[in-house]
Amino acid sequence: MVSVINTVDTSHEDMIHDAQMDYYGTRLATCSSDRSVKIFDVRNGGQILIADLRGHEGPVWQVAWAHPMYGNILASCSYDRKVIIWKEENGTWEKTHEHTGHDSSVNSVCWAPHDYGLILACGSSDGAISLLTYTGEGQWEVKKINNAHTIGCNAVSWAPAVVPGSLIDQPSGQKPNYIKKFASGGCDNLIKLWKEEEDGQWKEEQKLEAHSDWVRDVAWAPSIGLPTSTIASCSQDGRVFIWTCDDTSGNTWSPRLLHKFNDVVWHVSWSITANILAVSGGDNKVTLWKESVDGQWVCISDVNKGQGSVSASVTEGQQNEQ
Amino acid sequence: MKLKEVDRTAMQAWSPAQNHPIYLATGTSAQQLDATFSTSASLEIFELDLSDPSLDMKSCATFSSSHRYHKLIWGPYKMDPKGNVSGVLIAGGENGNIILYDPSKIIAGDKEVIIAQNDKHTGPVRALDVNIFQTNLVASGANESEIYIWDLNNFATPMTPGAKTQPPEDISCIAWNRQVQHILASASPSGRATVWDLRKNEPIIKVSDHSNRMHCSGLAWHPDVATQMVLASEDDRLPVVQMWDLRFASSPLRVLENHARGILAIAWSMADPELLLSCGKDAKILCSNPNTGEVLYELPTNTQWCFDIQWCPRNPAVLSAASFDGRISVYSIMGGSADGLRQKQADKLSSSFGNLDPFGTGQPLPPLQIPQQTAQHNIVLPLKKPPKWIRRPVGASFSFGGKLVTFENVKIQSQQGAEQQQQQHHVFISQVVTEKEFLSRSDQLQQVVQSQGFVSYCQKKIDASQTEFEKHVWSFLKVNFEDDSRGKYLELLGYRKEDLGKKIALALNKVDGPEVCIKEGKQESEFLPSAGGTFNISISGDIDGLITQALLTGNFESAVDLCLHDNRMADAIILAIAGGQELLAQTQKKYFAKSQSKITRLITAVVMKNWKEIVESCDLKNWREALAAVLTYAKPDEFSALCDLLGTRLESEGDSLLQTQACLCYICAGNVEKLVACWTKAQDGSNPLSLQDLIEKVVILRKAVQLTQAMDTNTVGVLLAEKMSQYANLLAAQGSIAAALAFLPENTNQPNIVQLRDRLCRAQGQPVPGQESPKIPYERQQLPKGRPGPMAGHTQMPRAPAQQYYPHGENPPPPGFIMHGNVNPNTATAQLPTSPGHMHTQVPPYPQPQRPQNGWNDPPALNRVPKKKKMPENFMPPVPITSPIMNPLGDPQSQMLPQQPSAPVPLSSQASFPQPHLAGGQTFHGIQQPLGQPGMPSSFSKPNIEGAPGAPIGNTIQHVQSLPTEKITKKPIPDEHLILKTTFEDLIQRCLSSATDPQTKRKLDDASKRLEFLYDKLREQTLSPTIINGLHSIARSIESRNYSEGLTIHTHIVSTSNFSETSAFMPVLKVVLTQANKLGV
Repeated sequence: MVSVINTVDTSHEDMIHDAQMDYYGTRLATCSSDRSVKIFDVRNGGQILIADLRGHEGPVWQVAWAHPMYGNILASCSYDRKVIIWKEENGTWEKTHEHTGHDSSVNSVCWAPHDYGLILACGSSDGAISLLTYTGEGQWEVKKINNAHTIGCNAVSWAPAVVPGSLIDQPSGQKPNYIKKFASGGCDNLIKLWKEEEDGQWKEEQKLEAHSDWVRDVAWAPSIGLPTSTIASCSQDGRVFIWTCDDTSGNTWSPRLLHKFNDVVWHVSWSITANILAVSGGDNKVTLWKESVDGQWVCISDVNKGQGSVSASVTEGQQNEQ
Repeated sequence: MKLKEVDRTAMQAWSPAQNHPIYLATGTSAQQLDATFSTSASLEIFELDLSDPSLDMKSCATFSSSHRYHKLIWGPYKMDPKGNVSGVLIAGGENGNIILYDPSKIIAGDKEVIIAQNDKHTGPVRALDVNIFQTNLVASGANESEIYIWDLNNFATPMTPGAKTQPPEDISCIAWNRQVQHILASASPSGRATVWDLRKNEPIIKVSDHSNRMHCSGLAWHPDVATQMVLASEDDRLPVVQMWDLRFASSPLRVLENHARGILAIAWSMADPELLLSCGKDAKILCSNPNTGEVLYELPTNTQWCFDIQWCPRNPAVLSAASFDGRISVYSIMGGSADGLRQKQADKLSSSFGNLDPFGTGQPLPPLQIPQQTAQHNIVLPLKKPPKWIRRPVGASFSFGGKLVTFENVKIQSQQGAEQQQQQHHVFISQVVTEKEFLSRSDQLQQVVQSQGFVSYCQKKIDASQTEFEKHVWSFLKVNFEDDSRGKYLELLGYRKEDLGKKIALALNKVDGPEVCIKEGKQESEFLPSAGGTFNISISGDIDGLITQALLTGNFESAVDLCLHDNRMADAIILAIAGGQELLAQTQKKYFAKSQSKITRLITAVVMKNWKEIVESCDLKNWREALAAVLTYAKPDEFSALCDLLGTRLESEGDSLLQTQACLCYICAGNVEKLVACWTKAQDGSNPLSLQDLIEKVVILRKAVQLTQAMDTNTVGVLLAEKMSQYANLLAAQGSIAAALAFLPENTNQPNIVQLRDRLCRAQGQPVPGQESPKIPYERQQLPKGRPGPMAGHTQMPRAPAQQYYPHGENPPPPGFIMHGNVNPNTATAQLPTSPGHMHTQVPPYPQPQRPQNGWNDPPALNRVPKKKKMPENFMPPVPITSPIMNPLGDPQSQMLPQQPSAPVPLSSQASFPQPHLAGGQTFHGIQQPLGQPGMPSSFSKPNIEGAPGAPIGNTIQHVQSLPTEKITKKPIPDEHLILKTTFEDLIQRCLSSATDPQTKRKLDDASKRLEFLYDKLREQTLSPTIINGLHSIARSIESRNYSEGLTIHTHIVSTSNFSETSAFMPVLKVVLTQANKLGV
C-alpha cells in the first residue's frame, strides 16, 4: 500500500523541482522555480514552515540534507550557477557558504557518505563536477573535474561508504581506508564512475554506456551488506537501467533494462533498504519497482498523487521460496 | 558555448529526434562560393559525438553530388521507433528539383543513394517542410508561387494546396502547422504569408502587415499554440520578427525588434516554445522568447552572418549555425566555459596548407565582413531563463521509515498570452508498505513477547511448519519453556524414556525368551550344587595357574593384567572391582583400549564421563545420538559448551543438511549468536520473510535463555546486532518504527544499533529513550562528584530560555546521543561511585568532525580566564577535540562530555567503536542543540563557539575549568619525533619573544596549546608516515629558518592527507609558520 500520510501545501509560486526529507524523516525541504527553498517540520502529519530560504537568483533544482552529525545542513543548487549551503544556527536557517565555481546551471548536489567528512558533489550544465570539502573554520576546499560530461552533468550520486577488505584488517584506531566513489550522468548519454586516487585527485574509473539520450538521473543504491554494488540510471530516452557489479575490483558493470517508458524519466530513488526503486517520469507518473526472486524487476505500484496499491506478486514469490 | 565546427559552406539538416546517434547532414549550398571558388558539391554526414572533447566533428560519409542545395531537411519517414532506418534526406536543388536521399546508404558508402527525384518545380526549391503528423507528406515551395505537397509513398505526382496566389512570387518559406496536421503556411519575400487548409484545398487566410517592408526570410509555427506563427524579415529597414495570431490576423501580436539588420533565418525550439533562434545580417545569433519578446541569450559568434540555423531535434540544448565564412558551428545554449583544451585539429592542418590565400597573392583574402570588435567571453553565460527541458516536473524520493515524498506539476495549459493558471504546489508524503506478511508476523511476534505466550506460539509454529526441519527447530525452541527440558529434547531426538524401556524389555524377551530363562534356571540348579563341592585350585604354569598364584598373593593388578592378556574381560573387570577404584579405572581404560565393539566408545564415554571426546570424534551422522548423550549425561556447566561444540562440528561440515542441524544444537546450547551465524549461512537473509524466520527464532531463544538458563542475554554479538538492526531497518522501511524500536536490543553498544535507535526515536518525534523525561538532562545531582564542571554548567543554564529555542515547541529534545549501556534511569548505575573508569562518558555514535574550540581568535569570554590560568602544561582543551586515535578512551578528555544525563558506560564498551571521537556530546546538535547546550558550537567545526558577544556561554567552558588535571598520564613522545615538539615549541617561543601586539601573542599562546593535539598523535603513533615525514621536513625548514618552504610543505601535507587526521593541528601549525615568517624570527 502506498497511502498519503501528509499533504504538504508548499505555497511555492512556481514548479517544485525537488522535495527531500532529512535523515530522520521529520523535516521536508523543497525547492522551486520560484527561487526559494523551504523547510517544513512534517512530524505527526503536520506542516510547520520552518524556513523560507531566499538567496538563489534562479530556479532551484535540487536540495540535499547533510548527515545530522554535522548539524542541520542543507545544500541547494540552482540555475543561477550557484550552490548554497544553508545551516541552522540557534533555530534560524542561514546561508553558510556559497559556491560560485560553475559557469552554468548547477543541476545536482549530493553529500558524500558521512564517514568521509562533509563533502558535496555538484554537477553542472557547464559539464564540470565540483567537489566541496569542508576543511574547518568555515573553509571549503574545491576540487573540480572539468569536462566530466560534455554540455552538461545532470546528476551525481555517491557510492555508499565501503571499506575494501574487512574492517578487522584495519589497524585499530586508524580511520578506515575508504575508497571514495561517485557516479554521474550527463547530456553525453553516459554514466561515469569517479574514484578518488591516493593523491586526492578524482579520476574517471568507468564509462557506462547504454542510454541513447541524456542521462537524467543516477542513484547508487545504499549498501545492505552485500558485496554487489548497484546503480540505477534513467534517461531522456525513457529507459531505466539497473547496473550491477559483483566483482571486488568494481570494474565489471552489467546493465539490466528495468523498463522502457514512453516519456522521459526524470528521477530514480532507492528505498533505504535498497530493495525498492521509485521511478518518476515526465508523464507525472511515479512507479515503484522491486526485484523478484528470479532477478526480474517488477512494477509493484503505480503511485498517483501519493496514493497507490501494491501488487502482491513479488511478495508471493518470496513466500514460495520459503 | 561552441561544441563543434565543420568548415563547409553548406545547408544543414539534423537527423530526426528518433535517430541515435545524432547526425548532421550538410549539403553544399547553392549560390555561394567560398574562397576556393570550387564548384563541386557534396552531401556529407557527420556524427555529433559529445564524448569527444575536441571541436572536430566526426565525418561519417561523403557523397559527391551533382547538385548544390538551397534547402536540406531530414525527415523521419519510414523510421521505426528504434531509429534503425535512418529516415530520408530531402534536398531542394537549383533547378526545380527535389531529390530524396537514403542517409543510411550514404553512411554505408553506397553508390546508389538517391531514392527518387523530381524536377517539377520552377526555379530553385528554397522551401521544404515535413508534416510531423504524417511524415510521408512533404511540402515544397519554389518560384512562381509554386507549392507542392509530395507524398513520399507516391512521389511521382505532387498535389497542390490550392490555386496559386497571385501575383506569382517566390516562395521562400513553407511550414506545416505543429498542432493541426492539414494546415500549411507559406511566405514569400514580398512579405505576405498565406495559410492553407489542405482539406478545403484553398488558402484560408493571408497575413500581411501592409508595411510592405517585410521581406520574409523565416516562417515558423508555434510549437504548442495552433493559431500562432512568427515571420522574420530580411529587410534591413525592418529587421523584425513578427508574432501573429490568426485569431487576430489584422496586425502582429508582437514584434521582436532585437536585430539591427535583416534577419536571415529563424528556428523555433520544439522542446521549449519560449526559445526562438534568429540570426541576422548584424552577425548576431539571438535566442529570444517570442511570447514576451525578451532576448534570453546571445550566442558568442564570430563576426560572420549566419544564413541557416537549426535546433538539434534530439538534443534540445544543441543548435547549429551555418555562416557565410564557410563554417558550420554547433553550439550549446547551456553556457559553460570553453577551456583551452578545445582545439580543433583541422585548424592547424588547414592553416598549414595556406588555403586562406588561394590565389597565391601572398595576401590572405580579406574577411567578407569588416570585423567588429566583439567582447571575448571566456565564460559564456547560459540562457537567462532555464529551458523547459531542464525543469524537472516530477519527483519521488524515498526517505527514512518507508516514506515516499512525491510531487508532480500538472502541465501548464497556457492560454494565449495568459498567465499560467494558479496551481497547487503540493508535496505528498506517503507511507509505502510492501511486506504485509512480514509485518503481520512481526506483529505477532511482538505480541507474543509482550504476553509471554511462548509455548503456544511455538506450538502454532510447529503446526504451521512446512518442513520437518522447521518443525524440529520450533519443537526445540518450545522445549525451552517446558519443564524437564533435557528430557524433552531427548524425546525430540527420538529417545523417549518410556518407549525405550518398553523396547528394551521387548528386546530382552526376544533374545532370552521365557524358555531361556527357565533353561537358565535349570542350569543354575544343575551347577549350584557342584559349586558347593571342591574345586581344583590349579597353580600350574599356564595362565590359569598364574592368575591363581597372583590372586593367592593378593596381587590383583597382575591378576587383572593376566586376565586381560588372556582376553578374559569379565574376569578382569570383576577382579578389578575387588582390587579397588584405582585398579578398576585402569582396567576400564585398558579394556576400552582393547575392545573393538561398535558401542565401545559410547560405553567408554559413559563410564569415563568424557563427553567431549564423543562430541569431538563421533561420526557426524550420529550427531543426534551425540546430542542425546550430552542431553542425558552432561553436567549443567558443560552442557552448553558441548552442544556448541557439536554444533560447530556440524556447521563446519560441508553438508548443508548437517549445517542446518547445527542450529538445533545451538538452540539446545542457547547460543543465539551462533544460531544467527549458522542460520545466516544456510538461508538467504536479505529477504524480509526469511529474516523474519530467523528473528522469530532468535527472539524466542533469547527469551528462553533468559528464562531457563538465567544467562545474561544482554550481550549482543556483532552478528546478532547486525541482523537485529537489519530487521529493525526493514520494519522501519515499512513504516513500523515503533515495532522496529521494540525489537532493537537494548543493552548493547553496537554502533549500528545505537545509531539506528537514535534515528528511529527521532523519526518518531520522540526523545531517545533513557531520557524520556526532559528533566533528566538536568538531574545533575545524580552526577558523581569530581565532575563539577558539567553540573556547574547546568546549574547556570536557565532552562526556560533554552526551551524556547526549541524549534518545535514540544518536548525538549533528547540531548544528543547517549550510549544505551543502561537505559533504565532507575538502576543504580546512574549513581555509581565515580571512578576514573566510570566517568560519565558519552560516546557519540558517529565519529565527530573536528571541532576545535576555544580557538585563539575567540573573543574573550566570561569564564575563560580561570581556565587559562589553570591549564596544565600538557592539557588539551577537552571538549570537542579529538581524533579517534589520540584520545585513549580512559583519557580525561573523554569524560568531559557533559551536558547529558549520561548513562554511565563501562569504558570497555567504547572499545567497540571504531572511531571513538569524543566530543561535546554534540553529535546531533540539530534539533536539540539550541535547547540543552546553547553554548555548544553551533556551527559545525567552527572553532569559535563563543564568538557572538552576548551569546550564552556554553558548558564547555566550564568543563574546561573543572578539568581534573591529575588524571592525565600520557605516553612519552617517541624519541625520534621529540624533535618536532622541541622545534615547534622553540619556534613559538621565539615568535612570542619577538611578537609585540597582544593579539599575536594570544594567537601563539593558543597555538602552543593546540599543538598538543599533534603531540598526542605522536604519542599514540597514529599519524601516517607521510604526515610524519612531512612534519619532519617542516621542522627541518624551521631549523633553517626557511618558513616559506615550511609553508609549502605544509600545504602539500594538507592537500594530500586525510583531513580529519591533520585538521586538529595543521591549521595551527600554519599560523605559527606564518607568524614566524612575518616576524622573521
